[in-house]
Amino acid sequence: MKRTAIAALLGLGIAGSAMAQSYPSKEIQGIIQWGAGGSTDVVMRAVTPHAEAVLGGKVVMQNVTGGVGAIALNRVADGAADGYTLLMGAENPLLYKVMGLGQKDYSDFTPINIIARGIPIIVAKPDAPFNTFPEMIAYIKANPRAVKFGSTGPGGLPSVITAMINAKQPIQVTAVPYDGDGPALTALMGGAIDVMPAVLGAAIENIRAGRMKPIAIMDVAPNAALPNVKPVVETNPEFRQYLPWGPFFGVFVKKGTPADIVTKLQAAYNTGAKHPDFQKLMDNRGFLMMNIAGKEADDFLAKWQSTTTWLLQDAGVTKASPAQFNIPKP
Amino acid sequence: MQAVSAFLIPFLDIQLLGLVAAGTFAGIYIGAIPGLSVTMAVSILISFTFAWPVYPALALMIGIFMGGVYGGSRTAILLNIPGAPAAIATGLDGYPMAKKGEAGEAIGITTVMSFFGGAVGIIVLAVAAPMVSEFALKFQPRDYMLLAVLGILLVGSLSGESLIKGIFAGAFGILIGTVGLDPLTIADRFTFGFSELRGGISFVAVMIGMFGISEALVQLHDVNKAAVRQQINRIVPSWSTITKYLPLSLRCSGIGVIIGALPGTGGDIAALMAYDHAKRTTKNPEVPFGEGAREGLVAPETANNAAVGGAFIPMMTLGIPGDAVTAIMIGALFIHGLNPGPMLMIDKPDMFWFIVGALTLANVFMLIFGLTGIRFFVKVVETPRSVLIPVIILLSIVGAYAVKSSLVDVYWMLGFGVLGYFMKLYGFQLGPVILGVILSRLLDDNWRRAIISDQESLPMLLKGIVTSPLSLVLFSAVLFILLAPLWRKVTARRAA
Amino acid sequence: MREGQTRRPGEALFVGFLTLASLGLLIKAYGIAGFEALSSPGALPMAATAVMLLSALIILRQTIKAPAIRTETIREHILPAAVVVAMVAITAYAFLLEPLGFLITSFLFLAVLIRVLSGRSLFFCVWSSAACVLLIYVVFRIVFSVLMPEGIVPEREILAWLGRLFGGGR
Repeated sequence: MKRTAIAALLGLGIAGSAMAQSYPSKEIQGIIQWGAGGSTDVVMRAVTPHAEAVLGGKVVMQNVTGGVGAIALNRVADGAADGYTLLMGAENPLLYKVMGLGQKDYSDFTPINIIARGIPIIVAKPDAPFNTFPEMIAYIKANPRAVKFGSTGPGGLPSVITAMINAKQPIQVTAVPYDGDGPALTALMGGAIDVMPAVLGAAIENIRAGRMKPIAIMDVAPNAALPNVKPVVETNPEFRQYLPWGPFFGVFVKKGTPADIVTKLQAAYNTGAKHPDFQKLMDNRGFLMMNIAGKEADDFLAKWQSTTTWLLQDAGVTKASPAQFNIPKP
Repeated sequence: MQAVSAFLIPFLDIQLLGLVAAGTFAGIYIGAIPGLSVTMAVSILISFTFAWPVYPALALMIGIFMGGVYGGSRTAILLNIPGAPAAIATGLDGYPMAKKGEAGEAIGITTVMSFFGGAVGIIVLAVAAPMVSEFALKFQPRDYMLLAVLGILLVGSLSGESLIKGIFAGAFGILIGTVGLDPLTIADRFTFGFSELRGGISFVAVMIGMFGISEALVQLHDVNKAAVRQQINRIVPSWSTITKYLPLSLRCSGIGVIIGALPGTGGDIAALMAYDHAKRTTKNPEVPFGEGAREGLVAPETANNAAVGGAFIPMMTLGIPGDAVTAIMIGALFIHGLNPGPMLMIDKPDMFWFIVGALTLANVFMLIFGLTGIRFFVKVVETPRSVLIPVIILLSIVGAYAVKSSLVDVYWMLGFGVLGYFMKLYGFQLGPVILGVILSRLLDDNWRRAIISDQESLPMLLKGIVTSPLSLVLFSAVLFILLAPLWRKVTARRAA
Repeated sequence: MREGQTRRPGEALFVGFLTLASLGLLIKAYGIAGFEALSSPGALPMAATAVMLLSALIILRQTIKAPAIRTETIREHILPAAVVVAMVAITAYAFLLEPLGFLITSFLFLAVLIRVLSGRSLFFCVWSSAACVLLIYVVFRIVFSVLMPEGIVPEREILAWLGRLFGGGR
C-alpha cells in the first residue's frame, strides 16, 4: 500500500542519472504565475496531467502569486536551466519592462508551448442603453465620463482593449479597477459597472443566462460559441490594425536549458494539448487552441509584445517607452 | 423527486460515502496544521482527481472543505495558533480555556456548534440560494466599504484594557495589508525597492508569527512549569448548554451565511464579526470574554461553518466563487466538463442537490470525527513545554514557508513573532493587528472603487449611501456602533 | 492583570520605537502618491500610518507619565534566558535553512533547543527531534508536495531512487 503510494507520487522516472536521455529523473516543479482557481491555474492543471503521461514523470504544480506574476517569473529565472522548473504563465510578463515591473520577460525563457489564446469580448449590463459597438461609442461620446468601464489595472486586458478603442474612437469613460475579470463581471451583474471588456470564456455562461449582453467580439471572426454576436471589424474595420489580439497561456523554461530536454518537453505538451478532453474544456471556456512552439511561438510573442506595448505607450499607460527595450514599432 | 434522489446519492453510494468521510477526516487535520490550508489541499486534489468522474472528486473536496474549516479551531484552542484564518476568533476564548484545563470542553462546544452552523448554512443553501445570491449581488463597492468599516470597528471588542493600543494595532494591521504592488494601479507600496516585497506580506505568515511564535516565546518565561492537566470527563456539551446558546448560534449562523455568500468576504471575517456580535449582545457572560467565555467559542464557530454553505450559494447559482475554496471548485467543475454559471442550476439541477447532499453528509462526519479522538489531541498540550515549544516553533516556520514556498515569508513570520512578543508584554493585543490585515484589502479596494465610481466626490458618495436602502442600513450600523458608547456616557452622566 | 498605569522595563523604549517607525512609515506613505486623489494608492496607507502615529504619540505620553514597576527587570521579566536562547536559535535557523536544507537545519534546531530547554539526555533529544522532523517532512513534502529548501541533501534524487526501489520501474 505504502509502496504504491510512494511510487504513484513520484510518477516513476526511468532508471539512470540526471542526464538528458533519462530526463526526467526526478520531480519537475511547475510554477503557476496566478492564483488557484484562476484561468491560468485551471488551464495548466488541466493540460499538465496529459503531458505527464507522455513525459513519464511527475510535475508538481505550485501557485506563486504576487507582483502581477513577476515573483513567479523571477523565481524560475533565478533557478537552474535544467528543465526541472517550468514557468506556467500568461501574457503579462511581456509588459513588465514597459510597466516598470521588472527587467526580465519571456525573452529570458524558451517557450515549451503557447497553449491557447483568449478572445476578448465587450459585455454590458442587460439594461444598458446600447446594443452594438457603434451605439455604445455614440452613447459614451454623448455622455462623457458617465459610463463605468471595469478594469483590472494597467496592462490588463480591459486596459489594452480600452486603449485600442481610444486609439481609433477617443472616448471618455470612468475606469473602475477590480482584482480580476471574475470580480469585475460580478460587479457588472450587480450593476456597479456598466461595461466590461473581458475574455469570452469568463463571460459566456452569464451571456447565455441573460445576465449580461454582448456588445462586440473584439476579433476578426465570429465565434462558434456565440454565433449571433458580430466581430467588431464588421462595423468598425479600423480595428483590423490590432486584431486578432488576446491574452494567452504558455509553458516556459529558462533560456539555456539543454535542447534535447526542451524538445522532450515540447513534444509532451504538444501531445497533451491535443488530448480531446483538454480540447473540449478549452472550447467550452471559449479559448482558441494554439499549441505552438519553437520559431512560431517566438514570432507570436514578439508580435504580441510589439503591438501591445506600443498601444499602451500611445495610450500613456506605460512607465517606460518600448523603444528603450528595443521593442520594434508594429 | 429528482432533487431528493440526487440529494441521496452520496448517502447511498458506499464509495462516495467513504470519500466524503475520508475527506472530512483529512480536512480536520489539514485545517488544524498551520500553513496547510483547505485551499491548498483542494487545488492539489484537482490534479489528483483529474481522471475521476465528477461526483467522487467533488465528494472528496467537499469533505475536506467542511472538515478543514472546523479543524482550524483545534490548534487555536490547544496552542493558540489558529490553523486557519477563520479560527482566529475561536482562539480568543478557546485558548484561555485550555490554559485552565478545559480544552476538552472547549473542543466539545466547538464541534457541536460547528455542526449546528454548518447545518444552518446548508439549509439556507438548499432553500434560499437564488434569493440570497440576488441579495449578495446588490452589494456595491460602497457597501463592501461600509462592511469593512464595520469590521474595523471590532477593534473596540478586541483591544483588551487599552483602546488606544488596540487602535494602534488595528492601523498597523491595515498598513501590513497594503504592503506590496497595489493590484489596482500596480504602484509600489512600502516595497523599499525589494522585488520580493511586491507580492505583499503573506497574511498567514503574519498570523502564525503573531499568534504562534509570540505565544511560544511568552510561554518560555516559565518553561519548567508543569503543563496544565486537562480534564476530559466532560466533552459533549449538555443539552441545556446547547439550548442556552441556541438564539446566539442562530444569529451567528445568519451572519456566517450572508458574509460567506458575499463574493470577496469569507469565513474569517464572518467569525470575527460573529465574535463581536456575541460580545456586544451578551450582557453577563459566566466567564468574561477573553478569559474563556463560552459565547466567544459559540459565535465564531457557528459563523465560520455556516459560511461554508454560504460560499456555495453564489457558486451554484451564478458561477461566482463565494471564497477561495469555491473558486478552485469552480475550476474543478470546468475541468470535469461542466460549465458553472447561472445556467448550471437549470441545466444540471442534480449537481446542485448532490452538493447539498455531500455537504450534509460531511457535516455529520465532522460531528462524529470531531467528538472522537479529543483525548489524544488534548494530550498534546500536556507534553512538557521544553519539548512542545521547540516543535511549535518549527511547525510555525514550516507552516509559513508552505503557503508560497517562500523563505521571505519565513523571515516575516519570525519578525512578526518577535514584534508580537514585545507587543504582548507591553499590553498591546494582537487580535486587532490580524483584523486589520484581513480587512485591509476589502477596505482599500472598495473605498477606491466607490470614490472613483462617484467621480472622486465625497458628497456624491454620501448621497449614494443615503439613497440606497442597503447602504443606509450598513451606514446606520456603523454610526450606531460609533455613537452608542458616547450616548451611554452621556446618559450615565445625566443619571449621576 | 497588569494596570495600564504602570510602566514595565523597556516599555518606554519600545513605544518610542513604534512612534519613530510610524513617523517613518507615514513619510513613506506620503511618497506613494502624495495628495494626488482620494482614490490614490497612497490614500489608505497614509490614513493608517497617520492613525498609527497619533495613537503612538498618545501611548508614549501615557507610558512616560506612568510610574515604572521597580520589581521587574529586563533580564527576568522581559528577556529571560530561555527566550533569548530561542530567539538566537530561530535566527540561526533562518540563516541556515537555505544553505543546509530543511532536513538538517530542522533536526539541529529541535535537538539543540530541546536539549538546552529541557536538559534531557542527548539520546532523547536526538530521537525525538528526528521523529518530529521526519513526520513533518512526510506530511508537508510527500503528501502535500510543499517543496522545502533542499540544501545539501539531494532529496529529489533520493525520493526518485526510493520510488524506483519500491515500485520497480514501469
